[in-house]
Amino acid sequence: MQSAPLPETLANLLGLDPNSTAVMIVLSLVGAGLIGTLMMTNTALAGPWAKRKITAAFTDRIAVDRIGPYGLFIIVADAVRLLSKELIVPEGADRPAWDLAPLIIASTALLGFAVIPMGNGIHLADPEVGLAYVFAVASTTSIGLVMAGYASNNKYSFLGGLRAVAQNLAYEIPLILTGASVVIFAGSLQMSEIVAAQQQSLIGPLPSWYAFVNPFAFVLFMIANLAEVGRNPFDIPEAPTEIVAGYQTEYSSVYFVLIYLGEFIHIFLGGAIIATIFLGGPAGPVLPGIVWFLIKIWGVFLFTQWARSAVPRVRIDQLIEIGWKGMLVLSLANLLLTAVIVGVTV
Amino acid sequence: MSNPWIAIGALAVVALAIPLTMMAVSSLLRPSVPEQGKRTTYESGEVPTGSSRQIKFNIQYYMVALLFVVFDIETVFIFPWTVIYSDAAAEFGMTTALLPMVVFIAILAIGLGWAWRNGAVQWVRSPRATKGADTYE
Repeated sequence: MQSAPLPETLANLLGLDPNSTAVMIVLSLVGAGLIGTLMMTNTALAGPWAKRKITAAFTDRIAVDRIGPYGLFIIVADAVRLLSKELIVPEGADRPAWDLAPLIIASTALLGFAVIPMGNGIHLADPEVGLAYVFAVASTTSIGLVMAGYASNNKYSFLGGLRAVAQNLAYEIPLILTGASVVIFAGSLQMSEIVAAQQQSLIGPLPSWYAFVNPFAFVLFMIANLAEVGRNPFDIPEAPTEIVAGYQTEYSSVYFVLIYLGEFIHIFLGGAIIATIFLGGPAGPVLPGIVWFLIKIWGVFLFTQWARSAVPRVRIDQLIEIGWKGMLVLSLANLLLTAVIVGVTV
Repeated sequence: MSNPWIAIGALAVVALAIPLTMMAVSSLLRPSVPEQGKRTTYESGEVPTGSSRQIKFNIQYYMVALLFVVFDIETVFIFPWTVIYSDAAAEFGMTTALLPMVVFIAILAIGLGWAWRNGAVQWVRSPRATKGADTYE
């Protein structure tokens, strides 16, 4: 059931030669444009609209409902409003770094989707190192956060940048080690192989998704992912009641949009990684694969928003202790336990 | 099978083009009204004092970053092992495949224990901060 990557599918569809490099470059750009548009649509829906609606539902309020059906046109209104705001450059900002940070935060998150299988043949690339690639790209965002925090020349931003990097460092290793425990089952880093390995039946109609095979790893990964995307209880890098908005305090206009966008794409990227390695990727009954994939990433998004509304924020000392003393030890234990289980059963 | 990195490179181009387009559109739309004091950094409405680049921050941020380097390299070594593990366990038996990694992780666990005992992963509060908390009691 291994389907060809998107550019090759396009080439076959259009009757072009998939062995010609020029054809592949053009079709790759088309495919990349498609993936980019798809994820930007999701983010546009999530950022200005769904997030407000969800938070409002949790706190028993009515959110945006004035413009368009269900207030959906707020997306257009917000885009125009934010893009036409004046860009205020703070005094003493470290210039190329201050401009590059929003670019890095937005682009790196988008780049991760290259290797995610989204079902119905929407799978841009399938390199053998897929999972390692996606972790590598996702963690590059930390550099953007530190750059934003340092270059803004603002004390709140600086503290926010420090907290962001301390948090990402502390939860990066549990995240990757738990991801590695999935690789032990699948025996491959290739995303299509990991998805294919989850298609057998576990018990009766229950598929052998790794969330069912190893729920412990799934829970660990979900928690570490919350910290990676900086949502409650791990939102101390932004902590609006303590340090204004952390690393994004001094950003306005389009730069603010890019950072905000980058955060949401990052949540969806986290959701896409979870869907791929724990929830069987685009697999599911009746509905087509892409629909299931979107349901899964929106499910993870809903979970982060739920946590955001329901869980209080941890302090920096608690954050470090949970990360280094709790999550790290548990993820090492999970790795060895998984290895023993796999070793006994083969 | 074509080279997958062409497609990844294409997505890199798109991922850069989207934010750059947004910046370009915004630069056409937005006003620029430079005024006195507008560009001052935000410090809760006060006039900013001192440089932001010279503030003192907790040494712990440095300690956890150092610790991270060790464990990050560890994950680099763990990844190839996870890929071949199930095949190796089937071919040579579980002990041969697992034991070296158990030893490796045990060494790291001892290192973590050492860092733990020495307070590297324990957030130290400065005496000043603690004293401030006491006086309010």
